[in-house]
Amino acid sequence: MTILDTRPSTPVAGAGGRPRTRRLSRSSDRPAVRIAAWLSVVVLGAFAFAPVYWLLVTSLTPHSAVFTYPPTWFPANPTFDAYRELAQNPALFTYLRNSVVVSAVTAVLSVVVSASTAYSFSKFRYRGRRSLMYLVLASQMFPQALLLVTLYAVFAAYGLLNTYTALVLSFTTFTLPLCVWMLKGFFDTIPDELVEAAKVDGASRMRTFLTIVLPLAAPGLVAAGLFAFVRGWNDFIFALTLAGPARQTLPPGLVNTFVGEAATAWPELMAASLVVSLPVSAAFIVLQKYLVGGLTAGAVKG
Amino acid sequence: MTMTDRRRPSRIGNTLGDRAFGVLLTLPGLALLGAVVLYPLVAALVTAFFEQSLLTPGRTFVGLDNVTAVLGDDFLALLRQTLVFTVGSTLVPFVVGFALALALNTRLKGTRTLRGLFLIPWLVPGVVVSFLWMWIFNANYGVLNALLEGMGLIDAPQAWLSKPGTAMLAVVVAKSWQSFPWMMVMLLAGLQTVPGELHEAAEIDGAGTIRRFFSITVPHLSGIIGLVVLLEFIWNFQHFDIIYVLTGGGPAGTTQTFATAVYETAFRGYDLGKAGALGLLWMVLLMGLVVVYIRFTERGEAR
Repeated sequence: MTILDTRPSTPVAGAGGRPRTRRLSRSSDRPAVRIAAWLSVVVLGAFAFAPVYWLLVTSLTPHSAVFTYPPTWFPANPTFDAYRELAQNPALFTYLRNSVVVSAVTAVLSVVVSASTAYSFSKFRYRGRRSLMYLVLASQMFPQALLLVTLYAVFAAYGLLNTYTALVLSFTTFTLPLCVWMLKGFFDTIPDELVEAAKVDGASRMRTFLTIVLPLAAPGLVAAGLFAFVRGWNDFIFALTLAGPARQTLPPGLVNTFVGEAATAWPELMAASLVVSLPVSAAFIVLQKYLVGGLTAGAVKG
Repeated sequence: MTMTDRRRPSRIGNTLGDRAFGVLLTLPGLALLGAVVLYPLVAALVTAFFEQSLLTPGRTFVGLDNVTAVLGDDFLALLRQTLVFTVGSTLVPFVVGFALALALNTRLKGTRTLRGLFLIPWLVPGVVVSFLWMWIFNANYGVLNALLEGMGLIDAPQAWLSKPGTAMLAVVVAKSWQSFPWMMVMLLAGLQTVPGELHEAAEIDGAGTIRRFFSITVPHLSGIIGLVVLLEFIWNFQHFDIIYVLTGGGPAGTTQTFATAVYETAFRGYDLGKAGALGLLWMVLLMGLVVVYIRFTERGEAR
C-alpha cells in the first residue's frame, strides 16, 4: 500500500517546479545512521501500530474473554460476533445514513459555493483581496465551541434543531475555508494564458469560468469535496449538540450507544470504530495524489 | 513554501469589468461564511456582556460582570491546563513526527509503504481515537496496565483516566497519537527539498551527521518547522473531541480546557453569558496566535 508519494504532486506545493532533490547523501549508508533510523521506526512504529492491533484484536474477542486481566495478546477463539451484533442494531444504520447524507451534502455544497470564491482569489486582482483571503484562512481557526453557542440559539429559533439543514450549515463552518484554500491552490496551477485566450476568443467571463476553468479543475473539485466529506464524517461537536438520535451522525451516535453504559461492550465498540474509520481511509487512498499537494499548500488539515 | 500566490500581477483582472466580476465571484462563499462563522462568532462574544440563559429568551446587560466572574473562577487553572494540553500535544507529535520523517527519509527498504501506514492514526476519526485509548487506559482490563505490570514498571493496575495526576498525561498521549502523522508528512515533504549536494559538500568538509543535521537540515527546514508547530498549537488550543470523550474534562476538572469549559458552561450550565465571557478571553489569546500565523504565511508567500 502506498498511500502517498511525499513528492509534491502539483505546483501548489511551492517546491513543485524543482527537480526532485531527494539525492541522498552517502551518510545514510553509515551503520550508525541506519541503526538509528531502524530503531526509531521500530519504537515509534510500536506506538503507532500497537493501538491499531489492539483495536482489531478486541473487535474479534468473544464477550466472555474481554473482561479478563491480564488480557490475552492474541485472541484464543476469534469471532465475528461483535460485527454481527452491530449489523443487528437498527440505530446504527440510522446514524450511518445520517453520516452519509450530511457529509455528502456538505461536500457538494461546500465545493459549489467555494469554487467561485477560490477562482476569484486566484485569478483576479482587486483591492481588499488579500484581506479577504486571510479572513477566510483565519475563520477556520475560530473555536467551534464558541460558534456553537450562537448556532444553537439561531437554529432553535428557526426550528432547525434536529434537522439535516442544521448539521450541513454547521459543517460548512470548517469545510468552506478548507475548500476555498484548496481550490485556490488548484486554480493557481491553471495558466492565466488559458483564461486570456478564452477572452480573446470572445467567451464571456462567466462562460470561461464554467466551461473552461471548472472542467480543468475537476480533479481539484473532487479532491476538495472528498476532503470536506471526510471532515464532515469526522465531526463530533456539532452533531452531538445540534441533533438528537434521529438525525445524529455516527461519531456522537457511537458515544451515545456505547459510552457511559455500566459495562461498555468493548468488542462492539472496537468493531464499530473500525467500520467508521474505513470510509475515511478509502477516501484518502483515492485522494493520495492530491493529499500532500493540498496539505503542504497551507492550512489544510483533515 | 506555503500558499503560492504568485506576486506578479495577473493580467486577467486588469479592467474595471474584470475587477467587478472578481468581487462578484467571492460573494456566495463570503456570504455563507459570514452567516455561519462571522455572525455566530461576534454574537457569541457579545453575550459576554449579558446575563443570558440557553433555556429562556431575553437577556439583561451586565457590563463586565461575567468577565470578572470568570476571571475570579479558577481562570488561571483553566489557562494552565489549556496550555499544558496544547504544548504537550504539540511537542510530543513534533518530536515523534520529526524522528520518523528523518528515519523514513533514509534509504531503508520499505519506507514508501511505511509512510502510508504511518498515516493511519491521523485518518481515524477523533471519537475513535478516544474509544481506543479509553480501552487501552481502562483501569480494570486495560492493556497498558498489563504491559507495564509485565515489565515491572508499576505494582498494581492504575486508573489512568480518573486520577488527577495522570489524566492529562493520558489525554496528551491520545492526542499526540492522532497528530504525529501530519507532522511527519509535512516535515518529510520539507526534508525532500533539502539539496543532497549541500550534505555531500559538508561531508567532504568533514562535518559529521549530527553537525550536518543542526547546520544544514534544521536551518533549511526552519520555515516549515515554524509553520507546523504554530498550526498544531492553534488547533490544539481549541481541541474538543478527544478531551470531551476521554475524560469529559474530569477528574475534578483537571483536564478541562477552554474548549470543554465553554461547552460545559453553555450546554450543561446553560449560562451563555459566562460562556461568552470565557470565549472572549479565549479569542483574545487565540487571535494573537492567528496574527502570528498570518504574518508567517505572508512571509512564506513573499519568498
